[in-house]
Amino acid sequence: MISKDQGFDSQEDLRQAGVRLRIIYYVALVVFFVLAGRLWYLQVMNSESYLERAEQNRTRIIAIPARRGTIFDRKGRILVTSQPSYNIVVNRKDVRDFDEVAGLLADNLGIDSQWLARRFESAKFEPKYESIVIKELATPADVAWVEAHQYEFPMIRSEEAPRRSYPHGLMAAHALGYVGEVSRAELDDPKSPFSRDKGFKLGDIVGKAGIERTYNDALTGEDGERTVVVDSRGRIQREISVTPPVAGRDFYTTIDLDIQRLAEEQTDTMPSGRGVIVVSNPRNGEILALVSHPAFDPNLFSMRAKTEQGREEIRDLTEDPDKPLYNRVIQGSYPPGSTWKLLTSVAALNEGVITPENSRVQDGGIQLGNYFMNSLSNLGMPDVVTAIARSADGYYYRLGIKMGAERFEKWVKIFRFGERTGVDLPREVSGLMPIPAVKENITRNIMKRKKTDQGEEWTEKDEEAVRRAAKWTEYDMAASSFGQGTNASTPIQLLRYVGGLAVGGSNYTPHLLLRISSGLNRFGQFEPEIHYTDNNRFTVPMSPEIVQIVRKGMWEAVNGGGTANAAAVVGFDVCGKTGTAQVASNDKAGRKTQDHAWFMSFAPRDNPELAMVILTENAGFGGKQSAPRAQPIYEDYYRRTRNLPMPVVADANGTTASPGSPVRQ
Amino acid sequence: MIGINRRYATDFDWALLIAALMIAAFGVLEISSAEPAPGLWRRQVVGVAIGVVVLFVTTMFDYRRIVNLAPYFYGVSLTLLALVFTPLGREVNGNRNWLYLGAFRFQPSELAKICTILFLAWYLSGARKRPLDLRSTLILAVAWAVPTGLVFLENDTGSALSFGSFFAAMLLLSGIRWRWVLLALAGLATAIILAIPALKECKSYKCERIKAVYWPDLAEKRFRYQNEQAEIAVGSGGIFGKGLRGSTQGTLGFVPEVHNDFIFAVASEEWGFFGGILSLAAYLFIIFRLLMIARRSRERAGLFLVTGIAALMLYHVAVNVGMVVRLMPIMGIPLPLMSFGSTSVVATCFGLGLAISVRLRRFVN
Repeated sequence: MISKDQGFDSQEDLRQAGVRLRIIYYVALVVFFVLAGRLWYLQVMNSESYLERAEQNRTRIIAIPARRGTIFDRKGRILVTSQPSYNIVVNRKDVRDFDEVAGLLADNLGIDSQWLARRFESAKFEPKYESIVIKELATPADVAWVEAHQYEFPMIRSEEAPRRSYPHGLMAAHALGYVGEVSRAELDDPKSPFSRDKGFKLGDIVGKAGIERTYNDALTGEDGERTVVVDSRGRIQREISVTPPVAGRDFYTTIDLDIQRLAEEQTDTMPSGRGVIVVSNPRNGEILALVSHPAFDPNLFSMRAKTEQGREEIRDLTEDPDKPLYNRVIQGSYPPGSTWKLLTSVAALNEGVITPENSRVQDGGIQLGNYFMNSLSNLGMPDVVTAIARSADGYYYRLGIKMGAERFEKWVKIFRFGERTGVDLPREVSGLMPIPAVKENITRNIMKRKKTDQGEEWTEKDEEAVRRAAKWTEYDMAASSFGQGTNASTPIQLLRYVGGLAVGGSNYTPHLLLRISSGLNRFGQFEPEIHYTDNNRFTVPMSPEIVQIVRKGMWEAVNGGGTANAAAVVGFDVCGKTGTAQVASNDKAGRKTQDHAWFMSFAPRDNPELAMVILTENAGFGGKQSAPRAQPIYEDYYRRTRNLPMPVVADANGTTASPGSPVRQ
Repeated sequence: MIGINRRYATDFDWALLIAALMIAAFGVLEISSAEPAPGLWRRQVVGVAIGVVVLFVTTMFDYRRIVNLAPYFYGVSLTLLALVFTPLGREVNGNRNWLYLGAFRFQPSELAKICTILFLAWYLSGARKRPLDLRSTLILAVAWAVPTGLVFLENDTGSALSFGSFFAAMLLLSGIRWRWVLLALAGLATAIILAIPALKECKSYKCERIKAVYWPDLAEKRFRYQNEQAEIAVGSGGIFGKGLRGSTQGTLGFVPEVHNDFIFAVASEEWGFFGGILSLAAYLFIIFRLLMIARRSRERAGLFLVTGIAALMLYHVAVNVGMVVRLMPIMGIPLPLMSFGSTSVVATCFGLGLAISVRLRRFVN
């Protein structure tokens, strides 16, 4: 019941109520301005960053992987291809509770939770909307599980991921290389071909070695992407845009599978299990076969890198003392031994130290100071052709001394030893030249290391000591002239060298690119076919007379009772030069290690089609260990290209089989 | 009993009604835009229609007759609050504050707020002393504390605190001595400061919600999520917003309870700073209008009644918008007239109807 005096008791009462009501007015005003100020802060001052976050919230970019280009041999036979396969990926942004997802994946896809945690950790600094691969080569059952649970676990998806496949296994592994996920170090290094600023990101598949690495750009193609709108659970609502992937371009290598296969057979029988066979066309530098033995199976890296067993296999490869991952053709440097005598001969003839008819240089052992250099030959005073054919050591000791360091060095540089050939393979080494400056450098480095180990300062006095110790003596000159001393050359350098000798001085850069097919780039523009262009080609001055001497000497070495008669092929005029590189080290049992056996050659003599370098590591004499390995390769090539019948040999079971390649043209 | 005369149309507070209807219409539009479930906006239109009918019917009654019935309203609302704890009550989002009576379901706490205001106004209008003596103050406090406590037990903290808003305003109007006001404010400030260290340690979800706003580093990620997403929604709206149906934060489900407690997030995402300020201005207009009606009221019942309604409105706007823009912890407080929910709309309309009734009868006596 409302009391009788319904009005206010007094004017005073009303006034007081008015004052107090005003307080509520002010509170309302303050609330309004605080809220308005906050809206100003959020919507006017910072709207851009919130807008960006809202966009990231609602869109996801899903990669559509591009198919990597196929690699063919020169005749169009497949060497490397890509197979369809599936990856299971997780979109990290949609993972709210890691443990829940980890448990889910462990139970249903058999993914190790600890490994997953590491994987998440390493991807921490990557953009969040990129999904990360958690299982490769997913089985159909895995994919089915993921598809079936798309609504409950939208953050787990299956993605198509074409996988690199090398149907010939170990064959030409060092030329082809292998692929794998780009490493963090490469991403972070702006100088690497796969750095972040070149657009690469974690999880990208890139070439790790060989052609796969050198021509990664052309082979890779361009991943496409789907931009989709998702809801707060990551479920795809609709598609905003699709950029289709651009497949990588097809790549034709210069390799001839027939020759490659024969070369592989020859390296398989090398007694030390280590060696090199590399064959090219001397008239343009195209590499027809490239074997570095032992090899590895590139499939291991693309197919099994994520499995426990695969990781173990890779560990075994990297720890193998024979270094199967290492490409001996371009990364191994060895004393070239007597193969170098051609360089000395060409230099001496050009400089007029000797003449073709009369060299006036004695063969046989020589006393240099208090050191006697032995020679296995003693041919009196042979002409240069005989000296080459019979590999007269004593002749070259004296020829080198007669020519002198200065003129010798000039010719080493004309032949461009001591620098990379520029072959289109990654990580080529340059080797060392047998010249005074190199000897001094080596001596200084050794002395400096010794001093540093003892904690002493390097002084001007030490520099003098270096100069004294590294003095270029007649002994150095004699050793250098036949490929010993500080000489370290790679098989690829020798291949270019022998090719140059074969064709009369034109040195073509050895290479593996025949052509890259035309195709579209990522902007949809047409890209024409690419052929190899040789920017490093150079000519060693050789008069026709000198060319004839070289050919004759090398022909006689094979066909005229010289050191390399095991390489002879009737009718094909193989020319070659053996080399036996002394190795100044002992093996584990303390025995002196066997010498490296070289054989460099070309054929036929007058219009060379093939140049070849064979190195058998720690096997002994070049003429005995390497030259015979060239013979079946030349024989097969010769018969195949001349349409001659293949020789038929009976194997141990009495059945008959053709040696060499079963693939016949 | 029903006082309609020719002055009804001229004295009726059309401006207040129009402001309220504009807000409600904007709410319906944004509910249809967010649309977490199809057809929700139609249900809201029905709710608003009922609200308008309730508003007009209320204005036709002399508010003094309604105030005189306050003890009955109060009793009924307490009963309904208590019924929530019987099997008739339902729990929604962790709060047991729904009552299902056959096909009819509503939140008794929304009704209890208005009924408690009515009851307090009834009591204060009868209390002759100014300032109140201790006994009256205690009675008042108990009348306030009983429904508040029941709502607390329902776990609906936000609503329980809203009872404090109009209680404080009405107590202030009753002429409570300034020293008590200052003492209460000082006590409140001290209590908050003392509670902070314990709050930082506390792991209950209520503490986490507070930490998510004021100490986000200490809060668990999942509690920050709602705040962050609402903040992104508001911020990404920019000055002029993304336009009608342009919301992605709301419609794609990043902002929770988007049609309900977080409707202001979608509204500011779609209409930007512009839309946000206009809505706030409309609320400010209504509150000022209510306070003006209170000031012009010729007697105590009207003064207290309308002041209580204005304070409740202010509290709802401050807390709801405050939580959307991440100034306040998340509490289940709807935005009057705009949020989806018939109970809230009808209760608000009832309150506005009472206020208009007070205005209509300011000269009649």
